[in-house]
Amino acid sequence: MDFSRVLLSSDDQAFLDESRGFLRTHVTEEVKRRDRETGDNFDEGVHLALGAAGYLEREWKPESAGGFSRVRRRIWELEKRRAHVPWVTWGTTAMVARSVASFGSWELKDEVLPGVFSGEVRLCLGYTEPEGGSDVATCKTRAVRDGDGWVINGSKMFTTGAHNCQYVFLVTNTDPEAPKHKSLTMFLVPLKTPGIEIQGIRTIDGDRTNIVYYSDVRVGDKYRLGEVNGGWAVLREPLNVEHGAVAAAHDGLQDVSIMMHQAGFMADAVDRAAAVVSAGDPNGCRLIDDQSVGYRLGRSVARMEAALSATGIFGRVALAQTMRDIAPDLMDILGSSSVLGFGAEGAADDGAAEYIYRFAPLVGIYGGTLEVFRNMIAQHVLGLGRPALGVLGVDSASRAQKVE
Amino acid sequence: MDRYELRRLDYSLSEDHEALQAAYRQFFKTHCPIETVRAAEESGFDKSLWERLCAMGATTMALPELVGGDGATLVDLTLVAEEVGRSLAPVPWIDHVCAARLLGRLGALADLDVVSGRQVAGLDSQQDSVRGVRLIATGSIADHVIVRDSDDIVRLTFDTRPARVDNIGRLPMAWVDPSVADSRTVVARGAGALAEYQRALDEWRLLTGAALVGLVEETMTIAAEFAKTRYTLGVPISTLQAISHPLANMAITVQAGRNLARRAAWFLDNEPQERPELAPSVFVFMAEEAAKAATMAVHIQGGLGVSAEAAATAYLVRARGWALAGGDPGASAKYIAAIVAARERRDERVREEQIDAMSACAKSK
Repeated sequence: MDFSRVLLSSDDQAFLDESRGFLRTHVTEEVKRRDRETGDNFDEGVHLALGAAGYLEREWKPESAGGFSRVRRRIWELEKRRAHVPWVTWGTTAMVARSVASFGSWELKDEVLPGVFSGEVRLCLGYTEPEGGSDVATCKTRAVRDGDGWVINGSKMFTTGAHNCQYVFLVTNTDPEAPKHKSLTMFLVPLKTPGIEIQGIRTIDGDRTNIVYYSDVRVGDKYRLGEVNGGWAVLREPLNVEHGAVAAAHDGLQDVSIMMHQAGFMADAVDRAAAVVSAGDPNGCRLIDDQSVGYRLGRSVARMEAALSATGIFGRVALAQTMRDIAPDLMDILGSSSVLGFGAEGAADDGAAEYIYRFAPLVGIYGGTLEVFRNMIAQHVLGLGRPALGVLGVDSASRAQKVE
Repeated sequence: MDRYELRRLDYSLSEDHEALQAAYRQFFKTHCPIETVRAAEESGFDKSLWERLCAMGATTMALPELVGGDGATLVDLTLVAEEVGRSLAPVPWIDHVCAARLLGRLGALADLDVVSGRQVAGLDSQQDSVRGVRLIATGSIADHVIVRDSDDIVRLTFDTRPARVDNIGRLPMAWVDPSVADSRTVVARGAGALAEYQRALDEWRLLTGAALVGLVEETMTIAAEFAKTRYTLGVPISTLQAISHPLANMAITVQAGRNLARRAAWFLDNEPQERPELAPSVFVFMAEEAAKAATMAVHIQGGLGVSAEAAATAYLVRARGWALAGGDPGASAKYIAAIVAARERRDERVREEQIDAMSACAKSK
């Protein structure tokens, strides 16, 4: 157990100073303003600068292959958050690049990976379907063999960043008759291929995602990752990472659960609310002198600190749930001007609390809904058995009626 | 505060921690089955269990070596507290160690047989209580009762101990009137002494929160086992999401509360000025969640759960009673808010000064 400040060697301290300076230079107010306007959560100029300076490659590679040491990786992660670097598209790119490295042919790796490191190639996720929901294995998008290649038809929701990416990591169904985990095949589809149409969708937190339509999209077999009908094995590894099922190291140099980056916005909102309620107005009155304000702020702090402490899959649920639970209280104690957003004149906290109120519903569905994770805790941690879902309920209800 | 500061986030237990945890889990499993808990409900105190626990070193461990203790950390104590809660042990261990540690810090342990636990020390664990008659959780069994009386910290003794009042927490609780004590010793006075008393209150909240973690985990486990063997419409009720999701939420509460307790304890042990809001946060979080979880655990067991003889109801009443011994958790919530608000106000002033200095510097250029 250890929560101490990390003592840095002079080299590591120099790395921290250099990183912080680099990010301050490139992530300008203009970058942040543009990002709020577009909702892209990506900035090409910043991304290419990170690539050119070698940060992307060092972040992606393990230390043994010239990547960051554990301590530098952690410094980099925290400094990027401090600077508010747009992050989503690099996150999907780094994740998919791992699958390309593990399952792609040499030819495909040569085509994709150098550009990933320079920043010129970005990768996005094509998992969820308009009718599918959280279960990636319920896939209706079809890939059918056609000579040496494949023809793809279907559509995908939440392909975030597609309009800034060069490839999509696509789940397709190649055997509709087979059980769902034996019917999937993965492709890395170039987004410039004819037949692909990207439509933007804005979400309530201000970000932009996409629905992507695939109409007779022809791709060569070299873009296939893993075996035909063996897509589940390719999918599983990044999903495990996204679900937080990967074991934590004991050096304390990483987030204790996923969604910690998102939770940072909750911590920011709490800290800002605390600063606002303790500032006096011209008459010296402070909001915190109202005991109901103090009570609600203190309870919100307690609940947030508990959620920030939970690890792994527990933390994943706790953070999203707590963001939903405390955002209304934080807005209430700041009063009516908490409804004014970022940059608005007279906004109580520059929109920090109203932002997490709008953001919380998304945090509770990223990578699977809270119900998916509660099912996993129930089944795999508490041993309560496979959840009896709708169809089973109907069956057993009719069985019970027969008995009566 | 700087939420991006480079600190380690390592919640893992050492081998010594694990050995300590296993020893106390085994101790209470052997010596404090539910029958022992039930048998002590009349008095709220099992004297022979207390003597065994003291013989094991549970009271001496909590004190520094300088005053004859074994110098355990607060992290160590949270591990023991969790086992006290898991077993619902009818012993005043949390109050005793918080009071004894306070007396130790104030240099007031000499001539008392408190370190060993042969004399029981108790304290007024309410956040805001400083005068008059009050309910003290250990009032009917404590040899020494430590309370604040305005700016004084006083140690009270009674030739005839105050009579126990029956209570939902099954604690040895009594009304204590400082003005009729047979002896009243001023142990310390002034701001420094009151700060030490606040530290005792913080430790009490930390350890009570940790005990509630153990309490919730055990009542959750009992309810989960029940749900696996109870069938409705042909399936175990544990597979129904209306049952399994509340149980999953309890598991999340346990993990969150447990780790928060360990982090809070670590900061009190190592950097006490840095995160003083964490210890009361454990209490505020667990006081609210324990009541919800214990009620749901009873509910899951339905008609069997509500029986006064069911283990579930033993957990139900203590989930409230143990927390309420420290008064309204809302008082702790307000205390947390005051700490965090002062910190953020201070940080904002620093930021404003930095900006002022930068613009002054730019002008002079």
